Amino acid sequence: MPLVIFVDDSETALASTRMVTNSMPIEVKQYTEAQVALAEIKAGMTPDLIITDLNMPVMNGFEFLKGLRGVPATGRTPTLMLTTETKPELKQQGKALGLTGWIVKPFNPAQLKQAITRVLRLPA
Amino acid sequence: MLMLDSIDELLSHIKSVQVDVVELSNESLMKMSSFMEKNNLEIDEDISTALQYQDIITQQLNASIEAIDSMKKSIDMFSHAYKNDEGLAQESINKLQEKLSLTLAEAQDKKNRFSGKISASDADETIEFF
Repeated sequence: MPLVIFVDDSETALASTRMVTNSMPIEVKQYTEAQVALAEIKAGMTPDLIITDLNMPVMNGFEFLKGLRGVPATGRTPTLMLTTETKPELKQQGKALGLTGWIVKPFNPAQLKQAITRVLRLPA
Repeated sequence: MLMLDSIDELLSHIKSVQVDVVELSNESLMKMSSFMEKNNLEIDEDISTALQYQDIITQQLNASIEAIDSMKKSIDMFSHAYKNDEGLAQESINKLQEKLSLTLAEAQDKKNRFSGKISASDADETIEFF
């Protein structure tokens, strides 16, 4: 099964996404700290899709994204930003860093499922 | 100066209430989501949105707690300067006003940034692919 990792400093936000993805044919790993997820990726974890929050302490979503792009295994891994931020300049910054897409909270569960299905090319 | 001490105490009280609300709210949602997961309950859009509001509430309260901390720091600096040299009072008041205005601007910016689709009426599309 494809591996999807979620990174969000909010446990409750992770719980919300877990309830959406638990019926999907994917393996899910969740992290409350981006630097921990990045360390596991550097140690050999190879996710098929990464979904991350932007505003997080210690390492924010953009810093995490830069770190991912510096690791050969995740240099081109599809990555979605899941955030409350809606500013076009932030979206542009994400796009320049190779972000696949931008999801604004609160997300629609059906649309989140569709996005994961589309990016991973799962059977609809 | 007694007035500033009272304001400082009031800010501490408001911060403590907000910290408690964040903790209780998190605990409440985690219990609810744990129950739903344990019983394999599917969530629809309304329930999902309700659960995500809690995250937004937490972010908003944490941003206002940061603003309170910033206000308290500015008041402390003013009080210290005033106590050391009352002649500098006017200059210190001007600096305090500038810092409080900056804190307010930052807090208002975070209120918008952390509201997601709730405040961005033009954000019709939940998901945008690049």
